[in-house]
Amino acid sequence: MSDEKSKVTDKASEIAKNIWLAGVGAYGKAVEEAQGRLEKAMEPPKLFRDLVKAGAALEEDARESTLAARHTVEERINRVRENFHNQRPARIEDLMALHKKVDQLNRKVDQLSKALTEQGVGKTSRSKTHKTAKKSVVAATAVRTRVSKKQTKAVIVARKKTSSGKPATSKRKA
Amino acid sequence: MKTRDRILHTSLALFNEEGEPDTTTIDIANELDISPGNLYYHFKGKDQIITELFQQYEQAMSHTLRAPIERPLSPDRGSVEDNWYYLYVVMEEMYQYRFLYHNLDNLLQRYPDIKRGFKRLIQLKRTALYAICQTLLQQEVIDAKDQQLLGLADNMTLNLTFWFSYDTLLHDNRSPQVTIHQGVLQLLTMVAPYLGDDELSFYHSCETIYVNMLADTG
Repeated sequence: MSDEKSKVTDKASEIAKNIWLAGVGAYGKAVEEAQGRLEKAMEPPKLFRDLVKAGAALEEDARESTLAARHTVEERINRVRENFHNQRPARIEDLMALHKKVDQLNRKVDQLSKALTEQGVGKTSRSKTHKTAKKSVVAATAVRTRVSKKQTKAVIVARKKTSSGKPATSKRKA
Repeated sequence: MKTRDRILHTSLALFNEEGEPDTTTIDIANELDISPGNLYYHFKGKDQIITELFQQYEQAMSHTLRAPIERPLSPDRGSVEDNWYYLYVVMEEMYQYRFLYHNLDNLLQRYPDIKRGFKRLIQLKRTALYAICQTLLQQEVIDAKDQQLLGLADNMTLNLTFWFSYDTLLHDNRSPQVTIHQGVLQLLTMVAPYLGDDELSFYHSCETIYVNMLADTG
Protein backbone atom coordinates (compact mmCIF):
# COMPACT_ATOMS: atom_id res chain seq x y z
CA MET A 1 0.00 0.00 0.00
CA SER A 2 2.76 2.41 0.87
CA ASP A 3 4.22 1.52 -2.49
CA GLU A 4 1.05 2.72 -4.18
CA LYS A 5 1.21 5.85 -2.15
CA SER A 6 4.76 6.70 -3.09
CA LYS A 7 3.92 6.07 -6.71
CA VAL A 8 1.19 8.65 -6.51
CA THR A 9 3.52 11.09 -4.82
CA ASP A 10 6.14 10.52 -7.48
CA LYS A 11 3.60 11.13 -10.16
CA ALA A 12 2.43 14.30 -8.47
CA SER A 13 5.90 15.68 -8.19
CA GLU A 14 6.58 14.76 -11.78
CA ILE A 15 3.54 16.73 -12.87
CA ALA A 16 4.51 19.67 -10.73
CA LYS A 17 7.93 19.59 -12.22
CA ASN A 18 6.62 19.56 -15.75
CA ILE A 19 4.46 22.55 -15.03
CA TRP A 20 7.42 24.32 -13.58
CA LEU A 21 9.61 23.52 -16.51
CA ALA A 22 6.96 24.35 -19.06
CA GLY A 23 6.90 27.87 -17.72
CA VAL A 24 10.40 28.26 -18.90
CA GLY A 25 9.06 29.01 -22.35
CA ALA A 26 10.79 29.63 -25.60
CA TYR A 27 14.41 29.95 -24.75
CA GLY A 28 15.51 27.44 -27.34
CA LYS A 29 18.89 25.87 -27.15
CA ALA A 30 19.88 27.19 -23.80
CA VAL A 31 16.87 25.70 -22.08
CA GLU A 32 17.18 22.46 -23.94
CA GLU A 33 20.72 22.09 -22.76
CA ALA A 34 19.71 22.83 -19.22
CA GLN A 35 16.95 20.32 -19.57
CA GLY A 36 19.47 17.80 -20.82
CA ARG A 37 21.57 18.29 -17.75
CA LEU A 38 18.68 18.26 -15.36
CA GLU A 39 16.82 15.31 -16.67
CA LYS A 40 19.51 12.99 -17.88
CA ALA A 41 18.14 9.96 -16.14
CA MET A 42 14.49 10.72 -16.79
CA GLU A 43 12.26 10.62 -19.83
CA PRO A 44 11.90 14.26 -20.91
CA PRO A 45 8.38 15.55 -20.41
CA LYS A 46 6.49 15.85 -23.65
CA LEU A 47 4.91 19.20 -22.94
CA PHE A 48 8.24 20.75 -22.30
CA ARG A 49 9.69 19.30 -25.45
CA ASP A 50 6.97 20.91 -27.50
CA LEU A 51 7.66 24.26 -25.94
CA VAL A 52 11.31 23.93 -26.65
CA LYS A 53 10.49 23.09 -30.23
CA ALA A 54 8.35 26.18 -30.51
CA GLY A 55 11.23 28.29 -29.35
CA ALA A 56 13.75 26.75 -31.73
CA ALA A 57 13.55 29.71 -34.08
CA LEU A 58 15.33 31.84 -31.53
CA GLU A 59 18.14 29.35 -31.36
CA GLU A 60 20.36 30.47 -34.21
CA ASP A 61 20.38 34.06 -33.16
CA ALA A 62 21.15 33.30 -29.56
CA ARG A 63 23.94 30.87 -30.23
CA GLU A 64 26.54 33.18 -31.62
CA SER A 65 26.09 35.88 -29.07
CA THR A 66 26.23 33.46 -26.15
CA LEU A 67 29.84 32.59 -26.79
CA ALA A 68 30.90 36.18 -26.39
CA ALA A 69 28.57 36.60 -23.45
CA ARG A 70 30.01 33.58 -21.69
CA HIS A 71 33.38 35.18 -21.95
CA THR A 72 32.27 38.38 -20.28
CA VAL A 73 30.38 36.51 -17.57
CA GLU A 74 33.55 34.64 -16.69
CA GLU A 75 35.53 37.85 -16.68
CA ARG A 76 33.02 39.46 -14.40
CA ILE A 77 33.02 36.48 -12.06
CA ASN A 78 36.80 36.83 -11.86
CA ARG A 79 36.48 40.48 -10.97
CA VAL A 80 33.96 39.75 -8.22
CA ARG A 81 36.14 36.95 -6.88
CA GLU A 82 39.10 39.27 -6.61
CA ASN A 83 37.06 41.91 -4.91
CA PHE A 84 35.61 39.35 -2.53
CA HIS A 85 39.00 38.01 -1.55
CA ASN A 86 40.14 41.49 -0.64
CA GLN A 87 37.27 41.83 1.78
CA ARG A 88 37.19 38.32 3.07
CA PRO A 89 38.36 37.82 6.63
CA ALA A 90 41.49 35.69 6.86
CA ARG A 91 40.65 32.08 7.60
CA ILE A 92 42.81 29.69 9.58
CA GLU A 93 43.40 27.58 6.47
CA ASP A 94 44.51 30.65 4.56
CA LEU A 95 46.90 31.63 7.30
CA MET A 96 48.31 28.12 7.53
CA ALA A 97 48.84 27.99 3.79
CA LEU A 98 50.56 31.34 3.96
CA HIS A 99 52.84 30.16 6.75
CA LYS A 100 53.76 27.15 4.72
CA LYS A 101 54.58 29.29 1.75
CA VAL A 102 56.72 31.61 3.85
CA ASP A 103 58.62 28.63 5.25
CA GLN A 104 59.29 27.35 1.76
CA LEU A 105 60.40 30.79 0.75
CA ASN A 106 62.77 30.99 3.69
CA ARG A 107 64.32 27.68 2.83
CA LYS A 108 64.82 28.76 -0.73
CA VAL A 109 66.47 31.99 0.31
CA ASP A 110 68.73 30.10 2.71
CA GLN A 111 69.75 27.68 0.01
CA LEU A 112 70.37 30.51 -2.34
CA SER A 113 72.60 32.49 0.00
CA LYS A 114 74.42 29.32 1.00
CA ALA A 115 75.13 28.47 -2.61
CA LEU A 116 76.35 31.98 -3.21
CA THR A 117 78.73 31.97 -0.26
CA GLU A 118 80.12 28.56 -1.20
CA GLN A 119 80.80 29.67 -4.72
CA GLY A 120 82.48 32.89 -3.72
CA VAL A 121 81.14 34.86 -6.61
CA GLY A 122 82.51 38.21 -7.77
CA LYS A 123 82.28 41.09 -5.35
CA THR A 124 79.85 43.39 -7.15
CA SER A 125 77.37 40.77 -8.26
CA ARG A 126 77.41 39.09 -4.86
CA SER A 127 76.51 42.19 -2.95
CA LYS A 128 73.71 42.81 -5.42
CA THR A 129 72.18 39.35 -5.09
CA HIS A 130 72.68 39.41 -1.38
CA LYS A 131 70.70 42.55 -1.11
CA THR A 132 67.76 41.01 -2.96
CA ALA A 133 67.87 37.90 -0.87
CA LYS A 134 67.97 39.94 2.28
CA LYS A 135 64.97 41.91 1.18
CA SER A 136 62.97 38.74 0.64
CA VAL A 137 63.88 37.53 4.09
CA VAL A 138 62.77 40.79 5.60
CA ALA A 139 59.52 40.64 3.69
CA ALA A 140 59.04 37.03 4.63
CA THR A 141 59.52 37.64 8.33
CA ALA A 142 57.17 40.55 8.16
CA VAL A 143 54.46 38.24 6.88
CA ARG A 144 55.25 35.72 9.54
CA THR A 145 54.62 38.14 12.34
CA ARG A 146 51.56 39.83 10.97
CA VAL A 147 49.48 38.72 8.03
CA SER A 148 47.47 41.22 6.11
CA LYS A 149 46.64 42.00 2.52
CA LYS A 150 49.63 44.25 2.02
CA GLN A 151 52.04 41.74 3.39
CA THR A 152 50.61 39.01 1.22
CA LYS A 153 51.59 41.20 -1.65
CA ALA A 154 55.09 41.42 -0.16
CA VAL A 155 55.33 37.65 -0.24
CA ILE A 156 54.47 37.65 -3.88
CA VAL A 157 57.01 40.36 -4.56
CA ALA A 158 59.62 38.51 -2.52
CA ARG A 159 58.85 35.31 -4.30
CA LYS A 160 59.22 36.96 -7.66
CA LYS A 161 62.56 38.33 -6.60
CA THR A 162 63.84 34.97 -5.45
CA SER A 163 62.80 33.30 -8.61
CA SER A 164 64.42 36.01 -10.69
CA GLY A 165 67.58 35.56 -8.65
CA LYS A 166 67.66 31.87 -9.44
CA PRO A 167 68.58 31.78 -13.09
CA ALA A 168 71.39 34.20 -12.37
CA THR A 169 72.98 31.70 -10.00
CA SER A 170 72.62 28.80 -12.36
CA LYS A 171 74.16 30.86 -15.08
CA ARG A 172 77.16 31.48 -12.93
CA LYS A 173 77.36 27.80 -12.14
CA ALA A 174 77.51 27.01 -15.81
CA MET B 1 29.34 59.20 -27.88
CA LYS B 2 26.50 59.83 -30.33
CA THR B 3 23.69 62.07 -29.19
CA ARG B 4 21.28 59.17 -29.35
CA ASP B 5 23.44 57.08 -27.00
CA ARG B 6 23.97 60.03 -24.73
CA ILE B 7 20.22 60.48 -24.44
CA LEU B 8 19.80 56.84 -23.45
CA HIS B 9 22.68 57.01 -21.03
CA THR B 10 21.48 60.16 -19.30
CA SER B 11 17.88 58.94 -19.18
CA LEU B 12 18.97 55.76 -17.45
CA ALA B 13 20.93 57.73 -14.88
CA LEU B 14 18.00 60.08 -14.21
CA PHE B 15 15.46 57.26 -14.03
CA ASN B 16 17.64 55.43 -11.55
CA GLU B 17 18.38 58.45 -9.41
CA GLU B 18 15.16 60.47 -9.56
CA GLY B 19 12.71 57.73 -10.45
CA GLU B 20 11.18 57.16 -13.84
CA PRO B 21 7.75 58.77 -13.13
CA ASP B 22 9.40 61.99 -11.93
CA THR B 23 11.60 62.39 -14.96
CA THR B 24 10.30 64.17 -18.05
CA THR B 25 11.84 64.49 -21.50
CA ILE B 26 12.43 68.15 -20.67
CA ASP B 27 14.50 67.07 -17.66
CA ILE B 28 16.50 64.75 -19.85
CA ALA B 29 17.10 67.45 -22.47
CA ASN B 30 18.10 69.95 -19.77
CA GLU B 31 20.49 67.52 -18.19
CA LEU B 32 22.13 66.95 -21.56
CA ASP B 33 22.07 70.63 -22.41
CA ILE B 34 20.27 69.98 -25.69
CA SER B 35 16.98 71.37 -26.94
CA PRO B 36 13.83 69.29 -26.47
CA GLY B 37 13.48 69.46 -30.25
CA ASN B 38 16.81 67.75 -30.63
CA LEU B 39 15.71 65.04 -28.25
CA TYR B 40 12.46 64.52 -30.17
CA TYR B 41 14.48 64.19 -33.33
CA HIS B 42 16.02 61.03 -31.88
CA PHE B 43 13.14 59.71 -29.78
CA LYS B 44 9.42 60.21 -30.16
CA GLY B 45 9.08 60.49 -26.42
CA LYS B 46 9.79 59.00 -23.05
CA ASP B 47 7.97 55.79 -23.99
CA GLN B 48 10.44 55.06 -26.70
CA ILE B 49 13.39 55.77 -24.45
CA ILE B 50 12.06 53.43 -21.78
CA THR B 51 11.34 50.71 -24.29
CA GLU B 52 14.83 50.92 -25.70
CA LEU B 53 16.45 50.91 -22.31
CA PHE B 54 14.49 47.80 -21.47
CA GLN B 55 15.61 46.15 -24.69
CA GLN B 56 19.21 46.87 -23.75
CA TYR B 57 18.60 45.40 -20.35
CA GLU B 58 16.85 42.32 -21.61
CA GLN B 59 19.60 41.59 -24.07
CA ALA B 60 22.40 42.00 -21.54
CA MET B 61 20.58 40.14 -18.79
CA SER B 62 19.52 37.20 -20.89
CA HIS B 63 23.10 36.76 -22.02
CA THR B 64 24.24 36.69 -18.44
CA LEU B 65 21.47 34.31 -17.42
CA ARG B 66 22.22 31.85 -20.19
CA ALA B 67 25.75 31.23 -18.96
CA PRO B 68 24.95 28.78 -16.13
CA ILE B 69 22.24 27.10 -18.21
CA GLU B 70 24.60 26.20 -20.99
CA ARG B 71 27.46 25.01 -18.91
CA PRO B 72 28.06 24.76 -15.16
CA LEU B 73 29.86 27.81 -13.82
CA SER B 74 31.87 25.53 -11.59
CA PRO B 75 33.32 22.59 -13.52
CA ASP B 76 34.17 20.86 -10.26
CA ARG B 77 33.69 21.19 -6.54
CA GLY B 78 36.85 23.20 -6.16
CA SER B 79 35.42 26.18 -8.00
CA VAL B 80 31.99 26.05 -6.41
CA GLU B 81 32.35 29.61 -5.12
CA ASP B 82 32.11 30.86 -8.68
CA ASN B 83 28.39 30.21 -8.40
CA TRP B 84 28.14 32.67 -5.54
CA TYR B 85 30.22 35.25 -7.37
CA TYR B 86 27.88 34.86 -10.28
CA LEU B 87 25.02 36.04 -8.06
CA TYR B 88 26.88 39.31 -7.60
CA VAL B 89 27.27 39.61 -11.35
CA VAL B 90 23.52 39.21 -11.86
CA MET B 91 22.63 41.62 -9.11
CA GLU B 92 25.08 44.24 -10.28
CA GLU B 93 23.55 44.07 -13.71
CA MET B 94 20.07 44.47 -12.27
CA TYR B 95 21.27 47.41 -10.25
CA GLN B 96 22.35 49.23 -13.38
CA TYR B 97 18.71 49.25 -14.49
CA ARG B 98 17.14 49.42 -11.05
CA PHE B 99 14.50 51.95 -12.07
CA LEU B 100 12.64 49.07 -13.72
CA TYR B 101 12.37 47.25 -10.43
CA HIS B 102 11.45 50.26 -8.34
CA ASN B 103 8.23 50.84 -10.17
CA LEU B 104 7.59 47.44 -11.59
CA ASP B 105 3.81 47.02 -11.45
CA ASN B 106 3.14 50.45 -12.81
CA LEU B 107 5.67 50.05 -15.57
CA LEU B 108 4.37 46.66 -16.67
CA GLN B 109 0.83 47.99 -16.80
CA ARG B 110 1.81 50.82 -19.06
CA TYR B 111 4.03 48.84 -21.40
CA PRO B 112 2.71 45.48 -22.60
CA ASP B 113 5.91 44.84 -24.55
CA ILE B 114 8.05 45.31 -21.50
CA LYS B 115 5.69 43.06 -19.59
CA ARG B 116 6.24 40.27 -22.08
CA GLY B 117 9.98 40.78 -22.00
CA PHE B 118 10.00 40.86 -18.24
CA LYS B 119 8.14 37.58 -18.07
CA ARG B 120 10.72 36.02 -20.35
CA LEU B 121 13.48 37.32 -18.12
CA ILE B 122 11.89 35.93 -14.97
CA GLN B 123 11.53 32.52 -16.54
CA LEU B 124 15.11 32.62 -17.65
CA LYS B 125 16.16 33.74 -14.21
CA ARG B 126 14.57 30.79 -12.48
CA THR B 127 15.93 28.41 -15.10
CA ALA B 128 19.42 29.79 -14.50
CA LEU B 129 19.05 29.48 -10.74
CA TYR B 130 17.64 25.99 -11.10
CA ALA B 131 20.58 25.02 -13.29
CA ILE B 132 22.96 26.33 -10.64
CA CYS B 133 21.17 24.40 -7.89
CA GLN B 134 21.20 21.30 -10.04
CA THR B 135 24.96 21.59 -10.57
CA LEU B 136 25.46 22.02 -6.84
CA LEU B 137 23.40 18.91 -6.24
CA GLN B 138 25.36 16.91 -8.79
CA GLN B 139 28.62 18.01 -7.25
CA GLU B 140 27.22 17.11 -3.84
CA VAL B 141 27.70 20.61 -2.54
CA ILE B 142 24.08 20.66 -1.45
CA ASP B 143 21.79 17.89 -0.41
CA ALA B 144 18.15 18.32 -1.37
CA LYS B 145 15.27 16.53 -2.98
CA ASP B 146 14.28 17.50 -6.47
CA GLN B 147 11.03 19.11 -5.40
CA GLN B 148 12.85 21.15 -2.79
CA LEU B 149 15.23 22.27 -5.48
CA LEU B 150 12.40 23.68 -7.60
CA GLY B 151 11.08 25.54 -4.59
CA LEU B 152 14.53 26.82 -3.79
CA ALA B 153 15.02 28.13 -7.32
CA ASP B 154 11.64 29.89 -7.15
CA ASN B 155 12.38 31.44 -3.78
CA MET B 156 15.70 32.69 -5.02
CA THR B 157 14.11 34.16 -8.13
CA LEU B 158 11.48 35.89 -6.01
CA ASN B 159 14.12 37.32 -3.73
CA LEU B 160 16.30 38.43 -6.58
CA THR B 161 13.45 40.13 -8.42
CA PHE B 162 12.10 42.15 -5.52
CA TRP B 163 15.24 42.68 -3.53
CA PHE B 164 15.77 46.30 -4.52
CA SER B 165 12.22 47.35 -3.65
CA TYR B 166 12.45 45.58 -0.33
CA ASP B 167 15.83 47.07 0.46
CA THR B 168 14.65 50.58 -0.40
CA LEU B 169 11.51 50.16 1.71
CA LEU B 170 13.53 49.08 4.71
CA HIS B 171 16.59 51.28 4.46
CA ASP B 172 15.80 54.04 1.96
CA ASN B 173 18.94 54.59 -0.06
CA ARG B 174 21.96 52.62 0.97
CA SER B 175 25.26 52.31 -0.81
CA PRO B 176 25.05 49.97 -3.79
CA GLN B 177 27.75 47.75 -2.30
CA VAL B 178 25.76 47.13 0.86
CA THR B 179 22.50 46.59 -1.01
CA ILE B 180 24.03 44.12 -3.43
CA HIS B 181 26.08 42.30 -0.86
CA GLN B 182 23.13 41.83 1.43
CA GLY B 183 21.04 40.68 -1.51
CA VAL B 184 23.55 37.95 -2.26
CA LEU B 185 23.74 37.09 1.42
CA GLN B 186 19.96 36.65 1.48
CA LEU B 187 20.13 34.31 -1.49
CA LEU B 188 22.84 32.32 0.23
CA THR B 189 20.74 32.16 3.38
CA MET B 190 18.22 30.21 1.35
CA VAL B 191 20.85 27.78 0.12
CA ALA B 192 22.59 27.51 3.50
CA PRO B 193 20.29 24.86 5.05
CA TYR B 194 21.24 22.51 2.23
CA LEU B 195 24.95 23.23 2.36
CA GLY B 196 27.58 20.97 3.82
CA ASP B 197 30.07 22.22 6.42
CA ASP B 198 32.74 23.01 3.83
CA GLU B 199 30.66 25.54 2.03
CA LEU B 200 29.30 27.07 5.19
CA SER B 201 32.64 28.75 5.68
CA PHE B 202 31.96 30.78 2.56
CA TYR B 203 28.59 31.74 3.95
CA HIS B 204 30.20 32.85 7.19
CA SER B 205 32.75 34.91 5.28
CA CYS B 206 29.86 36.58 3.52
CA GLU B 207 28.24 37.38 6.84
CA THR B 208 31.44 38.85 8.24
CA ILE B 209 31.94 41.03 5.19
CA TYR B 210 28.40 42.29 5.60
CA VAL B 211 28.95 43.17 9.25
CA ASN B 212 32.17 44.97 8.32
CA MET B 213 30.39 46.86 5.58
CA LEU B 214 27.72 48.05 7.98
CA ALA B 215 30.37 49.11 10.46
CA ASP B 216 32.21 51.04 7.73
CA THR B 217 29.15 52.90 6.54
CA GLY B 218 28.25 53.62 10.15
